[in-house]
Amino acid sequence: MASVEFVRISKRFKDVEAVADLSLTIADGEFVVLLGPTGAGKTTTLRLAAGLERADVGSIRIGGVDRTSADPALRDVAFVFQQYSLYPHLSVYDNLAFPLRSPLCRMAEDAIRARVTEIARLLHIDDKLQSPATRLSGGQMQRVAIGRALVRRPSAYLMDEPLSSLDAKLRADLRLELVRIQQELGATILYVTHDQIEAMTMADRIGVMEAGRLVQVGTPRDIYENPSTIHVATRLGHPVVNLIPRGLIPDLPAPPRAVLIGARTEHLRLSKAGGSAQASNLVGSLSWIEHLGDQNHLHLKVGDMELVTLADPESGLSVGDRVSVALARPLFFDDAGQRITV
Amino acid sequence: MRFAEKVATVTPAAPARRVRSLSDRTIAWLFIAPTIVLLLAINVFPLIWTVRLSFTNYRANRMNVPLRDVGLQHYNDILTSPDVWAAMQVTARFVIATILIQTVLGFALAWLVDKKFRGHGLWTTVILLPMMLSPAVVGNFWTFLYQPQIGLFNYVVSFFTGIPPSSFQMLGDLTLSPWAIVLVDTWMWTPYVMLICLAGLRSIPDYIYEAAEVDRASKWRQFWTITLPMAAPFIMLAVLFRAIENFKMFDMVNLLTGGGPGSTTEVASITLKREAFEKWRTGYSSAFAIILFVTVFGLANIYVKALNRLKQR
Repeated sequence: MASVEFVRISKRFKDVEAVADLSLTIADGEFVVLLGPTGAGKTTTLRLAAGLERADVGSIRIGGVDRTSADPALRDVAFVFQQYSLYPHLSVYDNLAFPLRSPLCRMAEDAIRARVTEIARLLHIDDKLQSPATRLSGGQMQRVAIGRALVRRPSAYLMDEPLSSLDAKLRADLRLELVRIQQELGATILYVTHDQIEAMTMADRIGVMEAGRLVQVGTPRDIYENPSTIHVATRLGHPVVNLIPRGLIPDLPAPPRAVLIGARTEHLRLSKAGGSAQASNLVGSLSWIEHLGDQNHLHLKVGDMELVTLADPESGLSVGDRVSVALARPLFFDDAGQRITV
Repeated sequence: MRFAEKVATVTPAAPARRVRSLSDRTIAWLFIAPTIVLLLAINVFPLIWTVRLSFTNYRANRMNVPLRDVGLQHYNDILTSPDVWAAMQVTARFVIATILIQTVLGFALAWLVDKKFRGHGLWTTVILLPMMLSPAVVGNFWTFLYQPQIGLFNYVVSFFTGIPPSSFQMLGDLTLSPWAIVLVDTWMWTPYVMLICLAGLRSIPDYIYEAAEVDRASKWRQFWTITLPMAAPFIMLAVLFRAIENFKMFDMVNLLTGGGPGSTTEVASITLKREAFEKWRTGYSSAFAIILFVTVFGLANIYVKALNRLKQR
């Protein structure tokens, strides 16, 4: 395994700037997740690392060696594509063995067999080894595609939303499995997703991308608790962070430039409105309750804006109740969407 | 409700009821009836009539001779005739040679055009031009090109090899004339094979190649393990179309050599034409036509089965 370094990388497609001035180092054995909405440049970044696209500016180093313009084969990386990129006329076994049969790999057929069966068992496709790749379900195909990367021991694994086409249960299983494999092998993984749960649970560090730029890099906890912009704050957390205009709570102590106040759902403290409400509290009425089983989402009407908060199903609140809301750990943003730290 | 009432009063009752008395099925039949009648008249009836004639002594130039049933006499004569076997062998050799050359060339051209070099669109059009010409026109101008004294072909050969242009005749020579026809057919129909192969190559998604690229497969291995197997059903389809076409090849041979010299280029359809419209043995040639039809139909069916099996893999 090896480290992967992006040094001031830019890439344009005609008049679209896909990646702009991106610098990021993925240390040897580190699991980095790129998170961002569709079109943010995550996939392009990954393809640049694989050599499937060439950077316009900047350089890429893999294992300390400059590979900016090397062919994909020479970079020694494995790639999991978002579409099932299986070789349709080959069996599952031959698909998994394909990368090992490269002249650059030189493995004996027994060793290949052992490795393929091991990986197939790991991904629960060992009973499908002899079937043609096209006779599998979507989830099985994607597992074969993941397996085709895992059979190798490359410098780095590059994964482009590999779990997005799987059902929830399998996704949760494979998430754990990938983390386990990563720790066992000490693998370097650059992983692209728009799923915040994947990012939060798997990553050593998360890089949040927006419009081709890497906005913030940090540990999942850091990104969640100390988002640098409104964009990063809304990217993580479900339901999304509540954004309250400063004017609505004039009594809350806030930095002078603050325009919006972010409050995560779990940082809203609810109580039945009574005489003892503090001046810095918001007062509203409960308009709607979503029951999710283990918890409830409460929708509050405060003036003409709506807040969403989490509550215990046993909270005893019901629709129409007047409630007062206190903010714990508010996040302050200026009019450009930048975080203001106090 | 009020709207429905209004419609009821506005719409004249009688014609509406008459139209409704025809069921959907009847209306559907009314629409396709003309086509079916036409098909029966110009396709099915002649076929049945040919089968009927193949058992008689009918001659189209002697309509007043009483029709006599000869049973399987014609079929027996044809299947034991050395001339017919010779013609079938010529046809088979012709089909095999043209298909081999056209498939290899067509696929190679498709592969090159698919590389999307500068101006590949223009080149595709240029390559497709011969296919768009009428076979009659092609046959006629190649007759001129092959002319030993004034034809361009012999001069071009002479330019590259030094052989005097008037020392050989492409169409009059026993060994050269079959190849003369193969060459013209290849010139005209390779683009067609190329077009089908190109469709096959274009159907292979880019990400398969990208995956192979990352999996460190060489270009050579990519060609043999991805390009060729994935384009194979298309190639086989092209072979099928060309084989059926060339099995009944007539126009080019008729224009270029008329089956000569001797009977070296006499393919089955030329023999058939001679029997039918020179010797006027209508019953006999009907039987021959049926035999040819059954042969092509049978071979094509076997081939399609093989093609389906390949696709299912």
